[in-house]
Amino acid sequence: MIFHVQQAIRAFILLAFSVMLFKLHFSGEMTKFINPKYEGLSQSASVLFLVLFIIQVTRIWTAREQDHLHHNNCHQDAHDCSHDHGDSPFNTKKLIAYLVIVFPLATGFLLPAKVLDASIMDKKGGMAVLTNQRISNEEKKETNIQEFSAVNPEEIGSSKEITKEEYEQLKQNLIESTTIELNDDVYSTYYDEIHLDVQKFKGREIQLKGFVYKEDGLEPDQLVIARFLITHCVADAGIIGFLSEIPEASALSQDTWIEAKGFLDTTTFNGTELPVIKITNWKEISQPKQPYLYPISIRIL
Amino acid sequence: MNRILRNHVIDFTGMVIIGFALMLLTLSTRFQMPFKLSPSLLNLNTIFLSILIEALPFVLIGVLIAGVIQVFVTEEHIRRWIPKNRYLAIMMSCVIGALFPACECGIVPIVRRLVGKGVPIYAAIGFMLTGPLINPIVIASTYMAFGNDIKIASLRMSLGFFIAIVTAFLVSLFFKGHQLKKTTGTIHSHSLSKKEAFSKRFWDMLIHSIDEFFDMGKYLIIGAFLAAFVQTYLPAKALLEAGSGTVSSVAIMMGLAYVLSLCSEADAFIGASFSSLFPTSAILSFLIFGPMMDLKNTLMMLSVFRIKFVISVLAFIISTVFITIMLVQGFI
Repeated sequence: MIFHVQQAIRAFILLAFSVMLFKLHFSGEMTKFINPKYEGLSQSASVLFLVLFIIQVTRIWTAREQDHLHHNNCHQDAHDCSHDHGDSPFNTKKLIAYLVIVFPLATGFLLPAKVLDASIMDKKGGMAVLTNQRISNEEKKETNIQEFSAVNPEEIGSSKEITKEEYEQLKQNLIESTTIELNDDVYSTYYDEIHLDVQKFKGREIQLKGFVYKEDGLEPDQLVIARFLITHCVADAGIIGFLSEIPEASALSQDTWIEAKGFLDTTTFNGTELPVIKITNWKEISQPKQPYLYPISIRIL
Repeated sequence: MNRILRNHVIDFTGMVIIGFALMLLTLSTRFQMPFKLSPSLLNLNTIFLSILIEALPFVLIGVLIAGVIQVFVTEEHIRRWIPKNRYLAIMMSCVIGALFPACECGIVPIVRRLVGKGVPIYAAIGFMLTGPLINPIVIASTYMAFGNDIKIASLRMSLGFFIAIVTAFLVSLFFKGHQLKKTTGTIHSHSLSKKEAFSKRFWDMLIHSIDEFFDMGKYLIIGAFLAAFVQTYLPAKALLEAGSGTVSSVAIMMGLAYVLSLCSEADAFIGASFSSLFPTSAILSFLIFGPMMDLKNTLMMLSVFRIKFVISVLAFIISTVFITIMLVQGFI
């Protein structure tokens, strides 16, 4: 009987990946990495790793003659299986390879997941991108809004995927409402609509939450109440946010989460017309459990 | 007797490893960093892990398919399936790629196995280019990201298909042979014995998948880390200011697609967020070039193919995308 150290290391790495994914799901930290819609995928990855681990375990111990047999088999089976089977002797190159693979396991287990903050917002372009969302939306054609049977907004919120009718209904709700309440489920839809035609919503009362983002070029009483929109994982996070006017803006520091109420108005920023919220009252809140927004997916077929 | 003993020893070893992993789990929940890491490093780590977590399911699917090809597909199959005519073979590979719902994270191991089994290198490249770019999920996400407008989505698919064919053709002109890295093991060419039981071959397939994962895993991890690094430390503003003309904006968007290494299913939304800053042609170059080749993929390819080949393919793709976009920009 021969003990193969490398096969044992590989088995351990496979199991560690499985456990890490499982741990992130179990602790709920997974939502800080990916859109919950895709959680099923990484859960199946976790199960797959476990299966691969069970298979790998059988390779740790081999009888001497069996080892030889397997080796021959492999080359008969797969005349040019050009990859490393973990049988060749250990060297520095391999050590580096294993260290690279262990690296994400170490940081995944030991470092806490961080919610993206204002510094990332700045790297992603900040106001330059926000200002341009306005222009790009102007170019989009107005879609005709028709009457649809009433849909309960709460129902929309609970299901992650909605039909086209429900989506139109959602937009209709926005147009009819006197107070716009930007909760997480409707945020991105309403955001697009408001940016499409600011004038239509001028003077409406609006309620929202987000974190404070500031950059050079904003007035002392201005700040952005910002959010990140995650399509798939945080690497593809997009930034959205409303320019807001709060007299106490200078007292609020970056990354403070606030809940605010105010009226929609328009302003010009660097020559572009932008919606602005004149905040009437606000309060500081702790970072919500689900800090990110996810786009509503509309069933096309 | 020996066999029973071995089984027991294996059970025991498995148990010990599970014990280790559980210990790691409990340790990690109580672990406090002895020093405070800067927030930007934590941001970097979060983005890095998220790319990895997003890619892992697709990589696993990729290595499993690679395992299936390795064990169940023989060279005779390939010889029968692939047309002798070069042009037909390129067309066919691109169409199969378009029908095959792959993600770019998992495509390299599949391509490597195909080439190993005797698929001509140009056909394999055609498959690699259309696989991640043209599939239902990408079409749907592009359609949605650009305000439910079919124009960008259809341009992305049709131009992408054309570029893939041209690139595969260029590869067929300049490269012969399989272009795989030389391996230390001798390459046998005797035919496969079909006597073996299905369960044995299935087991072999899984073993191959594991080895493939360890081969590819390190390059995926390095690629994900570099992409996360760029996202955390490179300000987009610098890019935005640099891109004013069509040529420079196309170049910038292609560079961005390369370093960001986004998943082809999510990149449409990022591309859309730039649609105000850059002309449509630049956005299209981002959407087409990204799924075909990126930082993460280049590293994975370098682990499999010769350096000269990888760099040439990269150059072919870049020039074809660039020239095509420049030619059609007047019409879009």
